[in-house]
Amino acid sequence: MEQKNVFSEPVKYDLTFAREIFRLENGSYIKQCMNCGMCAISCATRDVMDYSPRQLFNLIKLGKKEEVLTSNTFWSCTSCCTCKARCPRGIPIIDVMHDLKKYAIDHGYTNYPQAAFYKAFWNEMSVRGRMFEGGMTARYFLIRGLDEILKAMDMKDVGIDMLKHGRMPLLPPKKIRGLGGLKKIISKAQELDRKEAR
Amino acid sequence: MEKKIAVYICTGCGIGDALDIDALSKVAKSEFKVPICKTDGQLCGPEGVALIKQDIESEGVNTVVIAGCSARVNFDVFKFGPDNIVERINLREQVIWCHTADDEDTQMLAEDYMRMGLVKQKNMYVPEPYQVESFSRNILVVGGGLTGLTAAVESAKAGYSTILVEKDAELGGYVGKMYKQVPMKPPYTDLEENCIPNLVKAAEDAGVKIYKSATVENTAGAPGMFDVTIKQGDSTVQERVGAIVLATGAKPYEADKLGHLGFGKFPNVITQSMFEEMATAGKLEASKVAFIQCAGSRDQEHLPYCSAACCIESIKQALYVKEKNAEANVYVYYKDIRSNGQYEHFYMKAQQEGVVFVKGDVTEITEEDGKLTIEADDKTMGTTSLADEFDYVVLANGMVPTAALGDLVEEEPAADEAAAASDEPKASTPPVIKANLLNLAYRQGPELPALKYGFPDSHYICFPYETRRTGIYAAGVVRAPMDMLSAVEDGAGAAMKAVQCVEATEMGQAVHPRSGDMSFPEFNMNRCTQCKRCTEECPFGAINEDEKGNPLPNPSRCRRCGTCMGACPERIISFKNYSVPMVGNMVKTIEMPEEDEEKPRILIFACENDAIPALDMAGINRLQYNAWVRIIPLRCLGSLNLVWINDAMGGGFDGVLLMGCKHGDDYQCHFMKGSELAEIRLSKISETLDRLGLESERVRATTVNIMDYDKIPAMLDEFAADLEELGPNPMKDFA
Ligand code: SF4
Ligand code: SF4
Ligand code: SF4
Ligand code: SF4
Repeated sequence: MEQKNVFSEPVKYDLTFAREIFRLENGSYIKQCMNCGMCAISCATRDVMDYSPRQLFNLIKLGKKEEVLTSNTFWSCTSCCTCKARCPRGIPIIDVMHDLKKYAIDHGYTNYPQAAFYKAFWNEMSVRGRMFEGGMTARYFLIRGLDEILKAMDMKDVGIDMLKHGRMPLLPPKKIRGLGGLKKIISKAQELDRKEAR
Repeated sequence: MEKKIAVYICTGCGIGDALDIDALSKVAKSEFKVPICKTDGQLCGPEGVALIKQDIESEGVNTVVIAGCSARVNFDVFKFGPDNIVERINLREQVIWCHTADDEDTQMLAEDYMRMGLVKQKNMYVPEPYQVESFSRNILVVGGGLTGLTAAVESAKAGYSTILVEKDAELGGYVGKMYKQVPMKPPYTDLEENCIPNLVKAAEDAGVKIYKSATVENTAGAPGMFDVTIKQGDSTVQERVGAIVLATGAKPYEADKLGHLGFGKFPNVITQSMFEEMATAGKLEASKVAFIQCAGSRDQEHLPYCSAACCIESIKQALYVKEKNAEANVYVYYKDIRSNGQYEHFYMKAQQEGVVFVKGDVTEITEEDGKLTIEADDKTMGTTSLADEFDYVVLANGMVPTAALGDLVEEEPAADEAAAASDEPKASTPPVIKANLLNLAYRQGPELPALKYGFPDSHYICFPYETRRTGIYAAGVVRAPMDMLSAVEDGAGAAMKAVQCVEATEMGQAVHPRSGDMSFPEFNMNRCTQCKRCTEECPFGAINEDEKGNPLPNPSRCRRCGTCMGACPERIISFKNYSVPMVGNMVKTIEMPEEDEEKPRILIFACENDAIPALDMAGINRLQYNAWVRIIPLRCLGSLNLVWINDAMGGGFDGVLLMGCKHGDDYQCHFMKGSELAEIRLSKISETLDRLGLESERVRATTVNIMDYDKIPAMLDEFAADLEELGPNPMKDFA
């Protein structure tokens, strides 16, 4: 299991990229990894990941920027928290995964549908402070393009079932009260984030 | 001294309900004509104890036989001074707790134990402690490094005149030359200043007598009376000491043998000690450094063991690089990082400082323009990984104990041809290496016997400092590879052991594991055939030979295991309270039912150290086992004398089982060799048994440790079933 997707080519250690990642909010925790493999055997989605968390951390140390940022590992993380709870070195692995998702999006690595989903979710949320499934679906497909819509037609039965059971309202919900306040909180957080990144 | 015996039967803890106490008393009163036999509802209570004390005072009782709980409990309650013999008969743990109440077989068992206890006390006498002449309380520490200095300071502070011998001109050893040291106190994350200067001062302040540039040329004698010749330059000095701490440390593994890692080929491939020297001299200039762990260690072609300290030493040196230049790139190539205990924090600290740890085996090191490149089989990435531009590659080259440096003592050729020709199984002789550390004037060789890899043998789990030479305690990296924190603990621990040894020897008592025992082997020399078995089999080298070839016991070296007593074919070695006739008579007093009664009998010789506790544990857990067994505790299976097996088989026992500790490289025998020797002796008599028409399967040896108590019932049932298949012992009706 752990040895899938290994390189056939020799790899070379170069710490330049790692030093950049270590500066992310939870990035310096990566240094603490002791290669025990607990995260790899605990991860619910390890089967579909290109690299287990610890391999990803090692790739960072190797300076394999492209491989790291184009890998599906952090996009496949479901934030189930098992690895974080079990890591003997106390690495908040899911927070590191979040940092990496953000870093990837900021640097234009948005190829994965999950990246589109995150963006759609976020944009939809910030309009009303509430989720509107219809709106989010629309945003998602706008980002992903026509091909995806065609593919999505396969899922229409699910959509109809959800409609029938009132799980997918046709009309958007009301905005939350104090939406202005929420927006202020968000922009403050973003400002802090920008400051820290510097 | 005339014996005045009194038997006390306790009826508490359910004993009174499960057994016919009147019948039991009758065994004592009628069969053995014991003048006083009393029962009490709770003998360990104040009234019970008062009852016994009163009989001692007013009736002149001096031999107290208590039938009740195991001798392993209430030993402090049933203590009646050194002049009185106390014998305990275990009716609780080994009778009523593991056998059916109100049952004929259980009653027979209890009555047999009563007989055995009464016969045993007949052969017991109050031991007179052995007194060493011109006894010395001084403690000698050999080796003035971290461990030795710690041991010397501790023993001097405990109030014992301490002598320290160091072969170099300066104290401090390997640690003394370090730039900085690994953390020794919480939070175990920071480099610390070298502690040696303070330790040296502490030793001087505590009045330790220090010989520098000195070696031990000869060590003769025994605990309490070691005569040590110390050579300093051209002169020699004699010192008499009571106990010795051996702390001569280790040497780095020879880097010349590590050519495959580039040593000797590239000048910038260096060892940990060379790197240390560089740091001490302030010559550490590097922006990229790699450390290679297990260079030699954990490698069948070099050192098969883990050297235990090199991981944290490399972490420390990696931090030296970071301390000088925070931007430097530092890599550590490892198999597993073994930063035991608190040093896990130190490891994490180095990671936080940015040291990169690579799990992989280094496959090649090359050089170009003075910069080194490392190629490794990267275990995490599953491929070859490269890293280059290194200024230095530091090999964590492990350690070799000083006790391993020297030639093996050749085994003496067998004295006579008959012995050489016989293919009798023999106990393995431990390797002794002429390492020139103590130069013991012992018949059994000049240094401490080793177990593996040249480290002095000791009971690793239970009493690690006690070597196979009583009164000599190994500590620090000469004993086992270890880090500094453990070495300090070792130094203090061994010093305390030396103190215990001096104190016990002064009172004529044994040291661990029979601490407090005042008996020692006595030889009835006029029947000795000079066969040398006692001398050779004593695991502790306690017996020398005099000019005439007679065994020459050194009682203060003796651990009182009885191995010599078991070995002696003439049966002339005995203790005041433990002897061949004593156990033989116990065997003979057991009632042997006629064949047609269909009550087989199994005799068990059980080692007191682990098997007896396990049998007690079985009782405590109320595990029921076969009531045909009769158990006799032995000091150590090594004290098993084959004549007892003859007694048992001739007396009609259907089978004999020996229960002892595990032997071999990871032995648990408290006397190192006892259980192994017992099995060897056993293998010698199987032929005799076969010749008598007795199946040799009737006599078996098994190993039990204390946690095996739950397996005991099945073990005994299986043996009993096998014996039933063999049928009754044909000697039964002659008995
Ligand atoms: S569980 Fe933690 S320490 Fe272990 S490999 Fe995963 S991240 Fe590293
Ligand atoms: S301490 Fe570390 S480097 Fe030394 S032998 Fe053990 S595992 Fe290898
Ligand atoms: S064999 Fe045991 S009892 Fe006999 S001298 Fe040696 S240590 Fe003492
Ligand atoms: S074993 Fe017995 S007979 Fe042999 S040398 Fe020792 S004391 Fe003498």
